[in-house]
Amino acid sequence: MRNSVNRPPTPDAVEDQEKEPTLQEIINIKMIESGEKEKLMELLRERLVECGWKDEMKALCRAYIKKKGTNNVTVDDLVHVITPKGRASIPDSIKTELLLRIRAFLASAAL
Amino acid sequence: MMSRNSMYTNPKPCKHLADYKLRHGLSGYNLLQEQIRTTPSGKSSVKNHQTEIPRCCFCNGYQKRLYLCLICSSISCSSHTLLHSQCENGHDIAVDIERSELYCVLCCDQVYDPDFDKIVMLKHLMDLPRSGNGVDVSAGRRSSKRRRLCSALELDLKKTKQLVSMRDLRAKSCYPLGLRGLNNLGSTCFMNSVLQALLHAPPFRNYFLTGQRNHEVCRKRSSDRLCLLCDIYVFFSAVFSGDRTPYSPAQLLYSWWQHSANLASYEQQDAHEFFISVLDGIHENGVKARNTGECHCVAHRVFSGQLRSDVTCMSCGYTSTTYDPFMDISLNLDTGNCPSTDLANKSLKPSDNTYVSTLLGCLDLFTKPEKLGSDQKFFCENCQERQDSVKQMSIKRLPLVLCLHIKRFEHFPVRRMSRKIDRYMQFPFCLDMNPYLSSSVVRNRFGNRMFAFEGDELDTSTEFEIFAVVTHSGTLDSGHYVTYLHLKDQWYKCDDAWITAVEEEVVRASQCYMLFYAQKMLYYKANEDLVCQPVSPRADPFLPIAGCC
Repeated sequence: MRNSVNRPPTPDAVEDQEKEPTLQEIINIKMIESGEKEKLMELLRERLVECGWKDEMKALCRAYIKKKGTNNVTVDDLVHVITPKGRASIPDSIKTELLLRIRAFLASAAL
Repeated sequence: MMSRNSMYTNPKPCKHLADYKLRHGLSGYNLLQEQIRTTPSGKSSVKNHQTEIPRCCFCNGYQKRLYLCLICSSISCSSHTLLHSQCENGHDIAVDIERSELYCVLCCDQVYDPDFDKIVMLKHLMDLPRSGNGVDVSAGRRSSKRRRLCSALELDLKKTKQLVSMRDLRAKSCYPLGLRGLNNLGSTCFMNSVLQALLHAPPFRNYFLTGQRNHEVCRKRSSDRLCLLCDIYVFFSAVFSGDRTPYSPAQLLYSWWQHSANLASYEQQDAHEFFISVLDGIHENGVKARNTGECHCVAHRVFSGQLRSDVTCMSCGYTSTTYDPFMDISLNLDTGNCPSTDLANKSLKPSDNTYVSTLLGCLDLFTKPEKLGSDQKFFCENCQERQDSVKQMSIKRLPLVLCLHIKRFEHFPVRRMSRKIDRYMQFPFCLDMNPYLSSSVVRNRFGNRMFAFEGDELDTSTEFEIFAVVTHSGTLDSGHYVTYLHLKDQWYKCDDAWITAVEEEVVRASQCYMLFYAQKMLYYKANEDLVCQPVSPRADPFLPIAGCC
């Protein structure tokens, strides 16, 4: 039997809701709700595979695992190591394409 | 390039996962199954029926990776999973919502459970449009695997051992059996090079040497007609006789001309075309193929495999699968060029000039999913209209001997010109074909789930050893074919009538055109048998071999 008395109190989510959601948050939420974010993610994945970015990240991961040893690496490790390199190496053309799509979405959602 | 795992073994569960399984079994997984949704591209996510977007119950964040606790279904972001586990004792296992992958909070790492993957897979398959999918969840067919193994064993050289006497090996002065120069009869190096490779394809060689081809009772010869199989048998006997003087395969050449009248001339021909045409000739001359099932002529038994082609509709995920037989695989050279544009700002990618083509790279290219052009829209049965689609090739069944042909001759019918691609390609001596099998390729498509697929023939070996390399030098119009044979750990260069022992570096540096790999166990067995020398009354085995240095 678990002692619910000893559990720490659930953090108060009420306070957070009093803050005004930023524009970025509003856009993000709208995009997720309409399913547009899902579509853009698929598009992004496709583009990144096409240009070889995914293969490069895979190679980086392999190199890192080889260096550390298979049993000494966790997924979190890999994510932390790869993320900055990944973000830096995305081709500009892909960034541009996605920005255009987001802009088009905003126009159509009348935000 | 790192090699992939040859054995697809399941990783051991961490003790937290093992603990969870003991206590809860599959109940958590089964409850989750309802909520899993899969996109046509194969990505499985956990989608609650809530209209709101999932948020971390501690920080209300929604941007990071979110994990759903398997026991209480509360959602935490990657920063707060540990906190949840501390609050609730035993809530250690969670599922990554976006990817449907298991995560152990205490190990801070992804964990794997075949039972979980099975449930995700089942849901995915249930959601896919029916039929033609090609991924059958039910138990794999026993198929003709056993028949094929028996076939391979029949082609064993055991019988030949009874015909030759065992001799004490005098090491270097004794060349292996079956090494004999072939005279060039007028631009016939294309034929000589392929014949050298065929002479040493283990099951092919054994078939002819163990007298399975009984040319005495060949109907064609008795009626004075040409029989390609008999001529090949005569050819094999001559080469393996122990006589080392260069041999002229004139009868064989004539026999082949009869079969392939369009190629009968003294012009240089393509070695690969010759190879295909000889196999075709053997097939037609040989045992009459039964109407159902596989052909049992020696050419098919040795060289034929099966390819699988999957065409997937990009809108709904419906996949149409077809199987086709093959006698060899023609590969395009991988050049490392990406189809997309802007890579200028990438510091990681080396310039194209330094990219070295490799055989594994070519095989990767062969099994890579390829987006079909807009002019090749596939008619999707499910959508009932033409859709953009993706095609992917893989190998359903490997042959005993694998012939890989590198497409070095480009033909441009519009411009009416042809050219040769001289690009160097690196190739391994040991080749593991596991990553290119249908089971591996299809499994990867579903996101590397731990799941046994139909046709997962784990006890069939996928490891191959190289035994012959046919190389081409020169231009398309005036070139020369040379074969390198790998026998008993030594490489031999077979240049028409001249046979020399060479170092393996020479072979590695050569410009390969056709590569011949044999299944590992067949290769090693065949090499054992080469130790014996035939007792030949004519030739003294210690005389220096004419034409060899």
